[in-house]
Amino acid sequence: MLSLLVAVLAGCSGHYPADPHGTLNRVTGSILRVGVSHNKPFTSLEGETPAGEEVALIEEFASTLDAEIEWMDGSVEELVDQLEHGRLDMIIGGLTDQTPWQSKVGLTLPYAETTDEFGQTDKHVMAVRMGENAFLLELDTFLQSQAQQSRGGQSR
Amino acid sequence: MSAERSRDTEHMPADVAEVMRKAVRLEWITIAVLVGIVIIVYLAMGNSQAMKTAWIEDMLSFIPPIAFLIGVRVTRRPADAKHPFGYHRAIGISHVVAATALVVMGAILIGDSALKLIRIEHPTIGGIQVLGTTIWMGWLMMAAMVVTAIPPIILGRMKLKLAPQLHNKVLYADADMNKADWMTSLSALVGVAGIGLGWWWADAAAAIIIATSILKDGIGNLRAAVAGLIDARPTTFDSKHTHPLVDEVDAHLQQVDWVRSAAARIRDEGQVFHVEGFLVPETPGAATPENLEAVRRQLFDLDWKIRDVTLSPVTELPNVLETQPEA
Repeated sequence: MLSLLVAVLAGCSGHYPADPHGTLNRVTGSILRVGVSHNKPFTSLEGETPAGEEVALIEEFASTLDAEIEWMDGSVEELVDQLEHGRLDMIIGGLTDQTPWQSKVGLTLPYAETTDEFGQTDKHVMAVRMGENAFLLELDTFLQSQAQQSRGGQSR
Repeated sequence: MSAERSRDTEHMPADVAEVMRKAVRLEWITIAVLVGIVIIVYLAMGNSQAMKTAWIEDMLSFIPPIAFLIGVRVTRRPADAKHPFGYHRAIGISHVVAATALVVMGAILIGDSALKLIRIEHPTIGGIQVLGTTIWMGWLMMAAMVVTAIPPIILGRMKLKLAPQLHNKVLYADADMNKADWMTSLSALVGVAGIGLGWWWADAAAAIIIATSILKDGIGNLRAAVAGLIDARPTTFDSKHTHPLVDEVDAHLQQVDWVRSAAARIRDEGQVFHVEGFLVPETPGAATPENLEAVRRQLFDLDWKIRDVTLSPVTELPNVLETQPEA
């Protein structure tokens, strides 16, 4: 009965899980607002437009949603503040799953691993606004499929 | 005093001993099941704060069965010169511990959930990789909650059947803990389903409703446990009614032929009772040691729970017993 109720209600909003603030619906076919913090090689703000591995991933992600990207640069602290107040949809900047901001943002699954200069494994993630679960799941699904493709590419 | 009584170990009739063996086995099964549940919830919890709270509650659920097993083991020790009343009260201490675990669990859950509502905290649940595809982690959490809700329902019901036969209030408190377990699982299930619908408050709201009932159970058990330790009049295992033996003992003492009036006060030692009987004889010479010993034996035969009896011939009954309200 519960699953029926869930199915009916999900049918109304279009997504299950749904976003309390409707991020995925708003972004699709429209504008994705991305905060970028400089952190090479993942993100770079040295050029005219943002560049780097994560920037390339997000450009690809936006195209799957048929969305234009609106970039905002700043320190992670500034960007988290903007995200919390709904002025941004997500943040990139070489974040890891150990980021001290994890109580204020929603983190994706790790999409890549690197080893830092101290020999510790860094699991790389991106941040979305807290509780925007439909958008988060969309991004997770995209990043995981990209990660699988790149792993497949390396092994071949 | 008969020889077997004087050993004062926690022996009991064969049928009751069999129930006790079942209860002990049930508590070991409970601990084994809880270990499984704790592992499942740990694996399904990810970064979710809500699931972390559920996990801490599961850890608290270990306390009542462990308290029961230790309590039962300790009561079996025979009385000795240093412990002339035996170790029966260990059950009472176990009951306080188990009840406190329930209270703490309810209080943590209410506080944690209220804080989430006040902070307008939107629970974030993303995807998880299962067999190469990304699915919503909420589905996995809901599945985990269904799996973890079923064993406590069964175990709790089995304990509720055994608790009255043993007059064991720890077992009863543990059955309440099992009820608390499956109800929190159910509330987490509803909460996660609600989060999926975009209702960020669903998880915390469901938890508060459930936690209120857990806290109520805990406080009820704690009151009963404390009442037992301060020698309140014995009650039935669920602490709702005066124990029938209270009236039975009084009635038995009053019908003794050489007694004019009589009353008893009874201590609930956990599983067994200690009786202090006051007898006003018809004639001063009637209360001979032989007559008193005969009455003691009759009381022992009344019920296995009556473990020790002290009888005092008196000229008038103590005030508290005379004014005792009819139950």
